[in-house]
Amino acid sequence: MTDATDLAERAGDRDPRVGLRAVAALRRLLEQLEAVQVRSARNQGWSWQEIAAELGVSRQAVHKKHGRQ
Amino acid sequence: MFERFTKDAREVVVGAVGHCERAGERTVGAEHLLLALLDRDTGRASTALAALGLAQRKASVREALDEARRRAGLSRADTDALAGLGIDVSEIVSRVEEAHGVGAMSGSRTDRGRRPGRRSFDRGAKDVLEGALRSAVGRRDGHISDEHILLSLTIRPGVAGEVLADHGVTYETVQGVL
Repeated sequence: MTDATDLAERAGDRDPRVGLRAVAALRRLLEQLEAVQVRSARNQGWSWQEIAAELGVSRQAVHKKHGRQ
Repeated sequence: MFERFTKDAREVVVGAVGHCERAGERTVGAEHLLLALLDRDTGRASTALAALGLAQRKASVREALDEARRRAGLSRADTDALAGLGIDVSEIVSRVEEAHGVGAMSGSRTDRGRRPGRRSFDRGAKDVLEGALRSAVGRRDGHISDEHILLSLTIRPGVAGEVLADHGVTYETVQGVL
């Protein structure tokens, strides 16, 4: 898709579309990374409290998002 | 909206939910709709895809979708945008896979067992179905059929549309064979 390549080339042009797309993509990447790391921590016996402390969020928040494991 | 779907279109939607469930994923996405379209060998979308030579290249499409799923479901436009920030998605994926196994970034939750209950449609899948409705209206078709889902997939930005375009399936080429 040449459109995508053009977008990437214009990344330095302060084109808001590229910047916003990058933010959205980064968020998606972050969500996946968080899921991987939380699952790994749970598999290694970490408590929700310990995981929440490392992530800098409340225990309830992390449990609500990643619970049911 | 669903009452205006033809039997073919409904089967595509049901097939997409099945793909989502088998993959152990939480929400039905545009990619599941494309996988469901690929499974079919009846209906106007299937005929159009065959006319575009896709009948023999289904494996290649499925492989490309798998590959994108491994990259956290990011499209090439997404990874290009991140590259603009100096973030190398394939580098991140390969490091995570080294530590956590192949497919770790794919978001599939098969290791938790099948999640019971209804799947919801994510933003992307809803956009595709709404686009199918607009496409039907635009073409003055009375019903939303499987070819409208296909047409909608080709114009929506994202992995499914990119993979289709890479295989020569675009809005224009589909319209040309319908």
